[in-house]
Amino acid sequence: MAQAAKIQESIEDLEKKQEWWWIAEKKRSKRLDYLRKAVWKKGAIGGNYAPGVKVDLEIPVLFTQMYNWWKFDPPMLRRAKANAHILDNMTIFITDHAQLVGYVGTTPNTLLWRIDGASMVNEELYNEPGVMPEPEQASLKKVADLNAAWAGQTAVDKVARILDPEDAVKFLSGAIGWGAPTSAYGYSGKDYEFLFAQRNGFLDIIEKIDEAIEKAEDRTMGAPGPDILPLYERLQNWDAMKMILEASIRYANRYARLARIIAENYETDPTRKEELIRLAETCEHVPAHAPRSLQESLQYDHFVQVLARIEALEGAWPARPDYYHWPMYHKDVNVEKNITREEALDLVGEFMIRAYEVGGFGPRWAREGLQGITGTWVWTLGGVNKDGTDACNDLTVAFLQAARMVRVANPTFAFRWHPKVADDVMREVFECIRHGLGYPSIRNDPVLIQNAMHWHGHPLEEARTWVHQACMSPCPTTKHGVQPMRMASATANCAKMVEYALHNGYDFVVQMQMGPKTGDAAKFKDFEEFFAAWVKQMEWLTNTLVRTVNLGRYKDPEFFGRPFLSATYERAVESGLDAVSPVGERGNCWITGFTWVENADSLAAVKKLVFDDKKYTMAELLDALRTNWEGREDMRLDFVKAPKWGNDDDYVDDIMLRCLREVARHSREIQCPCGNTWPLLPENVSGNIHYSSIVGALPNGRRLGDALYDGGISPGPGLDKKGPTAVLKSCGKIDHVGDGRAFLLNQRLSPTQLAGEKGYQLWKAYIKTWADLGLDHVQFNMVSDETLRAAQRDPEKYQEVIVRVAGYSAHFVDISRKTQDNIIQRTIQGI
Amino acid sequence: MKCTECSFEAPVAKFRYLYNARIDASIALRQCPQCQAWLAVDELSGSVKQKVGPGEAPWGKSAGIEGLAEDAR
Repeated sequence: MAQAAKIQESIEDLEKKQEWWWIAEKKRSKRLDYLRKAVWKKGAIGGNYAPGVKVDLEIPVLFTQMYNWWKFDPPMLRRAKANAHILDNMTIFITDHAQLVGYVGTTPNTLLWRIDGASMVNEELYNEPGVMPEPEQASLKKVADLNAAWAGQTAVDKVARILDPEDAVKFLSGAIGWGAPTSAYGYSGKDYEFLFAQRNGFLDIIEKIDEAIEKAEDRTMGAPGPDILPLYERLQNWDAMKMILEASIRYANRYARLARIIAENYETDPTRKEELIRLAETCEHVPAHAPRSLQESLQYDHFVQVLARIEALEGAWPARPDYYHWPMYHKDVNVEKNITREEALDLVGEFMIRAYEVGGFGPRWAREGLQGITGTWVWTLGGVNKDGTDACNDLTVAFLQAARMVRVANPTFAFRWHPKVADDVMREVFECIRHGLGYPSIRNDPVLIQNAMHWHGHPLEEARTWVHQACMSPCPTTKHGVQPMRMASATANCAKMVEYALHNGYDFVVQMQMGPKTGDAAKFKDFEEFFAAWVKQMEWLTNTLVRTVNLGRYKDPEFFGRPFLSATYERAVESGLDAVSPVGERGNCWITGFTWVENADSLAAVKKLVFDDKKYTMAELLDALRTNWEGREDMRLDFVKAPKWGNDDDYVDDIMLRCLREVARHSREIQCPCGNTWPLLPENVSGNIHYSSIVGALPNGRRLGDALYDGGISPGPGLDKKGPTAVLKSCGKIDHVGDGRAFLLNQRLSPTQLAGEKGYQLWKAYIKTWADLGLDHVQFNMVSDETLRAAQRDPEKYQEVIVRVAGYSAHFVDISRKTQDNIIQRTIQGI
Repeated sequence: MKCTECSFEAPVAKFRYLYNARIDASIALRQCPQCQAWLAVDELSGSVKQKVGPGEAPWGKSAGIEGLAEDAR
């Protein structure tokens, strides 16, 4: 009834009430409306999967059968054969009205489960209520048998066995970082230049592989010597790459066959029949050949992403769709006029829905840390071409318009702002933010291009191709620039740096000596001694996490192996090495810094109240922290009132800069497997909630149990009391090139204040100040407290309200109460 | 402190600390060990201000503390 009533209301009335989700329903085509509503929500609601969402058991069974059969094969070849077996045999489906196909499961309600990733995750799956397909007992038996077969044999089991035992125990405590040092769960970059710019279909790549094999075999049949010895292994890798590409083409052809069967035997609607035939022709052409139309281009991209996900549970979705699909869009819509712009919008909207549909089973920590979504799928829009000219085009606008119609929380967009972006494009960006999507986030292209050159030495032209490899970090899409694997275990719970400096390296939450013994803080004579302890804890924590990732990267080709990913990488196809191997990669690593700003605020509070004003002794403070401020509310509020980041106060801002510069110095001392740097990138996803019960009480006034700040360099919620300019000025003191890889900034703006043309002009002026101050990132929530409160009271009515959590967006009703509260607490800045 | 729902009485620390939605406010959410009710507690005075629930009144800027803490605008 409520829905029928809303459909009767005019768009103007709905705009006044800012109920954008009803407007979307009215504006989108019937097809998009159906597809949007027909999709299963795979993101966890709080920490649990939605009713009806089940784990796919067909794929792990198929994989295990063939993996065990080929037990004497080397890693990449063995996995290629097992994955090819999946592609040849898994159940496939075509959603009604769909023009794009491909999914990581065998039915639309299923979650991908990669059995070969980690035994810990497999055990968790066995114990997860509600996700087993019916009949449940039979499924549980199947899972138990699979788990028994893989116990000790998964990628993480293998890495854990060779990690230093002390590192392993500390890492697995869950206190200092998360993720797993394996490409089974990482974020792989995509070599878009190889696939799209160079227009290589899989048959073109197979031709290149055949040439490489022929050349290598000429040498292995020739004069013996040490130079030919590595070729034997590479020949097997090339075989694996070729095998998986051939299987991928067969997989696409299975969709083509299914589409033809439906069209010829079951479909009665002539229009849909035609669409199914076109779909069949599309899947017969891509991925085997380079695309000839927009539909083929989008389908090719989707196949690549799905196939990479069937190979490993990927947490991110690096993409730059307006750039790489523009040639086919331009050809179809503008030059040859094969389709109308409205038809193109339908395809673009569906392209987003197909990505939103994708989901894999994640452990509870991942579900808590990424509430409401199944991965950080941040698609990059805008930016510049390789020659520095504006890359925005009508497809950029089409993606921004389609986003407002389909209103999915994943993928989200990040827009590469630069001074040459046209006003009409900026208006479209603003419209998405004004409609409460929480995206696109705005990235400062000139700053980030310079940053990529500064930290990793990417040449200018390559730096300009950058896409988001995960939430925030730029990565080129070029042969030597693309990073094959960002392993999430280089994610630091940074609040532990100051916590350990206070407690001599001891963790009172996990009750274990974690960091080095940097001295009894009660005996520190001045702030410098305390800060020196912080530096040592910071170095220890980052070293520990980076060691695990470096080892994971180095051993991944042996412990896991990525035949499909390798086959889509120019350098891997050329060399015959696994794509994850550091050979031939320039390096593009970063340490994600969760819970970062707590360090500056805590250090400043200690400096002020203990060392400068001497209002409290360090012993008193330590006692208060170890008892979680219980019975010391007056004292806690004093520490809350100490100088706080985000108020343009040099007292604390200088400490923030000192901390960042110590990390930047250390980032050059530690090296990735390619020999490049490890800069810091402060951001949180919803890790601030996950870690709320893991980080002890802190001198910023926070108690164990309270949410941490919402991340990056965003001030603590409610602590930025001097307005938006003061926030920007504090953040502008950071050198966004030399102090780290990128810095997330959350801002809440008033939807009432930013209504209409005046609102746009105000926002544009804000963006100009942001750009002038050299900040690299900002993202906005523009949903009122009233709407969010109403959604808390009556979630059923507000299913489609989207908010920006951190580096991603989520439907408000899908995040936990504590996370909702944390978002509502953020200060609404009047600009 | 006395629970306004079931009259259970004990020192504040016996009421399970949940979280403080606003770091700069002295209002915290605690749970009564007897009846499990969520309570908005003034940590300075050690008194219960109101029960936190999904109804109209207590749902505010910071969960359960609308009107109990000043909004930071």
